[in-house]
Amino acid sequence: MEMQDINYNKSEYVETASGNKVSRQTVLCGSQNIVLQGKVIVQSDAIIRGDLANVRTGRYCIISKEAVIRPPYKKFSKGVAFFPLTMGDHVFVGERSIVNAAVVGSYVYIGKNVVIGRRCVLKDCCVIEDDTILAPETVVPPFTKYSGSPGMQIGEVPECQQDLMIDFTRSYYQHFVPTKII
Amino acid sequence: MSYIIGSDVVRYACTCGILKPISKLYFCRHCLEVRCGFCVCHEVDSHFCGKCAENLPSSEARLKKNRCGNCYDCPSCHQQLTTRAATVGPKNPEDPKATPRKVFYLLCLLCRWSSRDVGIPDQSAVSGGWPERENIHANRLQEIQDMYKGIVLLDKQQKLEKDKKKQRRYMSFTDRTGITASMLRKRVGLPDIPHPLLKPKPKEPEPAVAKEDVEELPEELLTKPVNLCEVTTMEQRLVQPEWQPITVEKLFPIHKQLSVKRSQRCRSCEHNVSKPEYNPNSIKFKIQLFACFHIPEVRIVTVEPLRAGKTCELLLKFSNPTQHQTVITFLPVTLEMEETKISEQVTEDKSVVDDYLLEKKQPLSLTGTGSQPSSLLHASLSRQPSITVKPRPIAVPVVADITIPTSTFILPPRDDAAEYDDSGDTHNIQDDSKLVIWRKSNKAVVKLQVTPKEDLKIGDEVVAGFTMQHIYVNTITTVDNKEPQKCEHKVKVFVTLGNLVGSE
Repeated sequence: MEMQDINYNKSEYVETASGNKVSRQTVLCGSQNIVLQGKVIVQSDAIIRGDLANVRTGRYCIISKEAVIRPPYKKFSKGVAFFPLTMGDHVFVGERSIVNAAVVGSYVYIGKNVVIGRRCVLKDCCVIEDDTILAPETVVPPFTKYSGSPGMQIGEVPECQQDLMIDFTRSYYQHFVPTKII
Repeated sequence: MSYIIGSDVVRYACTCGILKPISKLYFCRHCLEVRCGFCVCHEVDSHFCGKCAENLPSSEARLKKNRCGNCYDCPSCHQQLTTRAATVGPKNPEDPKATPRKVFYLLCLLCRWSSRDVGIPDQSAVSGGWPERENIHANRLQEIQDMYKGIVLLDKQQKLEKDKKKQRRYMSFTDRTGITASMLRKRVGLPDIPHPLLKPKPKEPEPAVAKEDVEELPEELLTKPVNLCEVTTMEQRLVQPEWQPITVEKLFPIHKQLSVKRSQRCRSCEHNVSKPEYNPNSIKFKIQLFACFHIPEVRIVTVEPLRAGKTCELLLKFSNPTQHQTVITFLPVTLEMEETKISEQVTEDKSVVDDYLLEKKQPLSLTGTGSQPSSLLHASLSRQPSITVKPRPIAVPVVADITIPTSTFILPPRDDAAEYDDSGDTHNIQDDSKLVIWRKSNKAVVKLQVTPKEDLKIGDEVVAGFTMQHIYVNTITTVDNKEPQKCEHKVKVFVTLGNLVGSE
């Protein structure tokens, strides 16, 4: 199915020189610690907690509405410490998902209403289906599909997932256009 | 998007007759045929642990029963266990200089099961050193396994003897492989060294003996109320078939199951169609003949509301993934033509099977002559034979007719730089304006007329099909032909257009 245009209100979004499109209705805490590499879309009511630790995304990442990107913490004997969160290129995070992972690889698809537990590691080319709850510190190997609560591997993704994700995030960016004023 | 989430609206027919989305198909460049996961040979390349990404050689993986030595799964909820550190007081509390000791235990972060729950002592090292449990029946199981191994060997040996009797006189393998010690022995007339595992008759383990006195049914089973918190679930038992714990205090951590990297091989020409890199974390491929890199992709753009017997407009988007220009022609989909092709294929099959049988005899007689017990045992595992798959008729109800356009259209080659090029398209392609309504770089949108059949009911799913013929440029160079070859490749495409909304 060919993707339909997704229209947004031009006044609501800020577009940076590198092509990032960030909604004004987002909560970006500690924005000096957030690095968006370019052509990243952050939609309304998303939360990125840069105040806890550094958050770094690759190119062509899509952070949907009401998603929460929150660096993970680890408990030590003398309190807790937060760790940076890195995200690869061509990553899609669905609506109302909470990402608490330590590393999200490239070409990863995270569905809607997903909870990625603390310090999870999502390797490249994996798919987390809608409504999955991933237990803390889970490692998701490449080319696997996780689903359920608690999240378990339910299948594999096709070998050309990399190209599918590149195509998907690119066309999402191309179809994410301001509403035309008639 | 539909590929990732998994609703397949556009499906391609594989050579074997199964319909699959293009993302799950391969394209063998050597036989120029579409292949799917069901009609290729899957070969295990390497074993690795999905958690620690450690690569294990297959012999070691077999020894460890395909489980990782360091990573554990929770016996209660089957999630991954993590190692936790805790500090305990120093060994001799009187010594003021002694630093507190660190100990480690396993903890499930989902259900909070921990190795302390079942009384596994804490370890002083981060990884490894966890006590392994011996199965009380291990010896017996080993005995039985050995017996069956012996039977397999004996079977093979007998078959070999039979083959040897009718062996051709002057056939010699030395031309190909050089002379081996065992052949030399045979030639001189000495008996072959007997295989170490080979015994005239496999030793049978002691048969199980029926017991006369059986334990009485414990009274408390009937009188005591069952505490379900202490009893394991069926799933928890079956995940450990060797122990099958009945109560929760017998749950012990399970070694994590290994994953495999697979390569796919075309069955008819034995060329690889997909071969991943060795590194478990790598997503690159050494060989990747995926259909989405070679065959034009079809996507549905829009379709008018479908009414039975009424012609409506269907817009399809074609994109060319290759580096060569292609021409696309529409042909009607013919399911009947398949039948004759199958019968031809069957006769071909027979000759292939004969060839295969001939082939099979040679390696068997070579490996059977001793010196390599492992290859004898796993001769059948090491390489799968090539089998031609019989194409099956495509079982899909095509309930709508597509008016096949007579004109063809051109798709320019894919250009990755085109994305950054704003100069517009300068292809100057003369298009049939009735057919092609939009084009940009390697993509084109085509307008087709589709008519659902009249006897359909409201709500029925409408599927239409056509055969897409495209020019495929084969860049494989052979000895006699160095130039890339052009050929016409046909693939059947089926589009699920949605449900019928009304009648005429």
